Amino acid sequence: MTKELLAKEMSRRSWVQSLCGGFGSIGLLGMLGQEQARAATLGHYVGPRYPTKAKHVIFLFLSGGPSQIDMFDPKPTIAKYAGQRPDAVSNFRTERQTGGLMPSPFKFQKHGQSGTEVSELLPEIASVIDDVCVIRSMYTFNPAHTPSKNLIHSGVILANRPTMGAWISYGLGTENQNLPGFVVLSAGQDSMLGGALWRSGFLPSEYGGVALDHSDPEPDKMIRYLRNKQLDKESQRRQLDLIQSLNRQDLDSFGPDAFLDGRIKAMESAYRLQFEAQEVFDVRKEPQSIREEYGDNNYGNSCLLARRLVENGVRYIHVYPDSDNKLAGKNGVPSSWDDHREINKNYRGRCPEMDRAAGTLIRDLKRRGLLDETLVVWGGEFGRTPVSEGDGRDHDPYGYTMWMAGGGVKPGIVYGATDEFGFKAVENRVSIHDLHATILYLLGVDHQKLTYRYAGRDFRLTDVFGEVVKDIIA
Amino acid sequence: MSELVLDTKAGLRKGGARGAEVVPGNPSQSRLLQALRYTDPTLQMPPTGKLPDQVIADFEQWIAAGAPDPRVDPVTASASPAPLKGMSIELGRKWWAFQPVREIAAPKVKNATWPRAKIDSFLLAALENKGLETSPRADPRTLIQRVYIDLTGLRPTYEEVDAFAKDSGPEAYERLIGRLLASSHYGEAWGRHWLDVARYGEDNPTSDATNPPYVYAWRYRDWVIKAINDDMPYDRFVKLQLSADLMPGVKRDDFRALGYLGAAPAYHKEPRLSAEVLDGISTDEWDERVDALGRGLLGITVACARCHDHKFDPITQKDYYSLAGVFASTTRAERPLLDIDSKTETRFLWVEQRLFDLSVLSSVLSDKNPTNPEWAARRLVGVKAEVQQLLAEMEALKNRYPALAEHAERMVEKRRFLVSQDPFMNSVYDAALYVNGADPFLTEMDYRPGQARDLPVLFHGNVASPGGPAPRGFLTVLSQGSDNVFRTGSGRLELGEKIFTDAAPLTARVIVNRVWGWHFGQPLVGTPSDFGTQGEKPSNSELLDDLAARFISHGRSLKWLHREIMFSAAYQQSSRPRSDGEKADQANTLLWRMNPRRLDIEAYRDSILQAAGTLNEALYGPSIDLDTSGANRRTVYGRVSRRQLNMMLKLYDFPDAMQTSPGRDLTTTSLQQLFVMNSSFLQEQAVALAKIVEKEPDDSARIRGLYRRILARDPNLKEIDLGLSYLAHATLAQFAQALLSTNEVIAWR
Repeated sequence: MTKELLAKEMSRRSWVQSLCGGFGSIGLLGMLGQEQARAATLGHYVGPRYPTKAKHVIFLFLSGGPSQIDMFDPKPTIAKYAGQRPDAVSNFRTERQTGGLMPSPFKFQKHGQSGTEVSELLPEIASVIDDVCVIRSMYTFNPAHTPSKNLIHSGVILANRPTMGAWISYGLGTENQNLPGFVVLSAGQDSMLGGALWRSGFLPSEYGGVALDHSDPEPDKMIRYLRNKQLDKESQRRQLDLIQSLNRQDLDSFGPDAFLDGRIKAMESAYRLQFEAQEVFDVRKEPQSIREEYGDNNYGNSCLLARRLVENGVRYIHVYPDSDNKLAGKNGVPSSWDDHREINKNYRGRCPEMDRAAGTLIRDLKRRGLLDETLVVWGGEFGRTPVSEGDGRDHDPYGYTMWMAGGGVKPGIVYGATDEFGFKAVENRVSIHDLHATILYLLGVDHQKLTYRYAGRDFRLTDVFGEVVKDIIA
Repeated sequence: MSELVLDTKAGLRKGGARGAEVVPGNPSQSRLLQALRYTDPTLQMPPTGKLPDQVIADFEQWIAAGAPDPRVDPVTASASPAPLKGMSIELGRKWWAFQPVREIAAPKVKNATWPRAKIDSFLLAALENKGLETSPRADPRTLIQRVYIDLTGLRPTYEEVDAFAKDSGPEAYERLIGRLLASSHYGEAWGRHWLDVARYGEDNPTSDATNPPYVYAWRYRDWVIKAINDDMPYDRFVKLQLSADLMPGVKRDDFRALGYLGAAPAYHKEPRLSAEVLDGISTDEWDERVDALGRGLLGITVACARCHDHKFDPITQKDYYSLAGVFASTTRAERPLLDIDSKTETRFLWVEQRLFDLSVLSSVLSDKNPTNPEWAARRLVGVKAEVQQLLAEMEALKNRYPALAEHAERMVEKRRFLVSQDPFMNSVYDAALYVNGADPFLTEMDYRPGQARDLPVLFHGNVASPGGPAPRGFLTVLSQGSDNVFRTGSGRLELGEKIFTDAAPLTARVIVNRVWGWHFGQPLVGTPSDFGTQGEKPSNSELLDDLAARFISHGRSLKWLHREIMFSAAYQQSSRPRSDGEKADQANTLLWRMNPRRLDIEAYRDSILQAAGTLNEALYGPSIDLDTSGANRRTVYGRVSRRQLNMMLKLYDFPDAMQTSPGRDLTTTSLQQLFVMNSSFLQEQAVALAKIVEKEPDDSARIRGLYRRILARDPNLKEIDLGLSYLAHATLAQFAQALLSTNEVIAWR
């Protein structure tokens, strides 16, 4: 932001008003100066800036609803009532009809200094558990996929609002003008995803997610229009030089114009993006040892690419499960975490790739000194019931587990608890809006102040809800 | 400091639980300053870190100066601010946007020779008042481009530009406008503007089983294009979209208009969810309709009153549910194109939906691994029996209406074999919607044809907390007289009437303002979908009122409105920047020049195709996939998906079809430029262009040929030189693509 713009901004809101807006908004001036040194484009957030560390978010979203009971929330009590439906569980309406309580077929063990319990399915995550804050008390409002996915992505159950990544890139801007601020990674096109989960809604469309299918790691297969198939670098530069000299001539004859000038600049940055992206988006540039550490597969590549994007200033990266059918079929299990049946077989087949990639991501970020400024969030749109649906589990919106690591979150803790069967969050309950408020807080943003005026009122990611979960902040 | 309130002057003076924070004139006694200085470890503000010394010094100086506080507290001000309350209905009736519109005598201006139309006098008076001059008329070449793009979304040919450059006088200009308004391309361009407001889309954000795509939605799009081309009066245009099936003497063909409601966004209604959850999802759908109607047609944010009375505008929560009831009494249906007796049709509409619902229930009950096999088997028997019975009933229609019987069968096949050319339309009919939760494990939708449903006011918008009744009816604040209740059927017919009787002034202001914005790139009211207290005030309210009044008296003809605007001197001004204008009115609110703009994606893509000679100018028809190579129909015929919008449309700011769009926000991004540099679309057009000019005798002539086709002008000497030296190393197609990539191609001046 230039001095003139700042001056304008400050005169618009007299300083007495900024006093009302919270003391921090005066402190903002200094913060902006620092940010300016790194930022290529500034965001629109004008509220107070908390002195927190996170600058990037990687959201490992496990669509379908991963089971808390089988991964992070051991409930030995279930075994005592196996096959029964005690009163405490019989009143929960879920999506489908369910049977009696079904104990987890997986063994749990304490890990690390923190002694956090993790199931045998997840040895790699267990190995970095001292960096992880496990939240066992998440809850959501709807037992169906679509509304719940909308809720966790955008704060409402309908697909008509901006998503979190869009809010964050709108609010904070991007650190690298040549790359999009919000990138969505998935291998294969999961038909459930559509564009709804990375839409910009009523925010300008440039803040929407750029979705990349990287079942092929070749960057120009991933990013549409990235490579010019006809011209080499020099010929393309010559072509661009011609375009730009015509553009400048036109600008000179028309007179000063923000659009004409902006498009000249955007064209230069697009030219650079072609080559920068070939570097940044290509995980094959990594040493083989690193690629193997992440697991040389689609999901591992997603997580590795997410780290490379963080290094290059991308603000928000959303990673979806590998839904490339060919590869998902490799282990003979469906790719979605929606295990209404055969949960034992499916988890044994599906967990290793996810575990390895997620565990390595944390280890790798830490090794590179990036974990402090990168918030990793893990979880699905809801959890799964402790009661059975055949040999699977139904959707459980009442209580489930998510975890966060890095970005200023307290490491090595377990927060909140579900009831004795793991059905409902009962202690330190965390709603989706609380989660959003906390993520924004960790990015230094007051969720009540990141607003956008639309349809007659100020909208925000957290609607009229949301409390920052202060207890999990380091 | 929990009781401390700094939002009001009184609060600041009073202080918090520990007493005064600010003692005017006495910084050392002011606890506020103590907190800022961080000297006391228990009293530090702001908590996020100490402010710079200079800022603290400013506070000290301010307190020493007596802590002047210019804020004026509301009358009720106390230390704790009163909760926000909306405007009362009585006050609301005085709100500017709801007042009758009237023709206003043109104001006197000094420069009496400038005005060419009445709107010019209003604009000029405001400019003269500010000491600003108007801009000269745009040069003819710019002007004809402006007008072509505006009315048809296409550029003129070189020859057309040349002819106009030779004769661009007022008569030639008026002839030009008349010719373009008569072109069917006009409806394609202006129909698309309306489709933004109508949030036109051909599917839903999820591909869930209960939420199939609207395969016939394109018939609504075609109806809009035709209605605009026919200059259908705006009141009839809107009324048909709300209630074509209820209006007397409407031809079946005009039922296509009901796609406005029939292809509206819908949400998945999973039958395994509880009745309460599905009730909630239904209310979300009604909310979308209220919002689309409120903001799109009336310019009021009625949907803000869903959970409580509107916090700013004179809209009660009861008003909201009165409107929502209309939509709770209206059900989406695929209606046949053919004329059919209404009894048979109503029965058919119910049966087709029921058959589809039963097919969804059937697959839920056929789950391979049911938790409760006995229950599932029993329910499945019932479902199958009902399917057979309904199919038999439809079979009996086969002789008279073979298309209906066939369509009913397709429902059982879960609609898999529907094709967009089937003789049906995505439409609505009067049937109240309820949710049947009798079976705790399987919730069903219950459609009741011919019935209307009044909703209760829902406390906090929650279906579990119903309050008093809200009979279907119109917004109180807009209603003339005491009776605003709807009594006939769903109330759609009366709703359409009220919009053009009781709310006539507002409705006219809203559409006139939108049309103004589409012509000038900037509406008179900066918030075209919000004329309430949170919206902006008109930049020239007399102009808006006068134009709206004359729009009504001219039969609400959009073509009249176009002429009125485009004949004006203001519209014909040059768009070049002027430093005096920039200084006095940077935003160009007063229109001291025309706004220079950028093409929208439709005009951009279509004019490139046209330059390359590859544009397929056929009118109407099912939607195409814009990504298919050679699919060179106009962009308005491209499929509009709410689920996965075409990449090119998304890149170029096409609005989200989940909700009515107040206007497009045109951005400039580097991803757009990647499309320009590297897409096969641009490359294919460049190759086609090169083919057209390669037969020219030499490179200079080829360059000139490309300039004429792409930019409708001749190159100057410098441009020819640049072209020649580029062609020494590159192909003609590469040169053509460079030219297609220039700013001049996407700029609209």
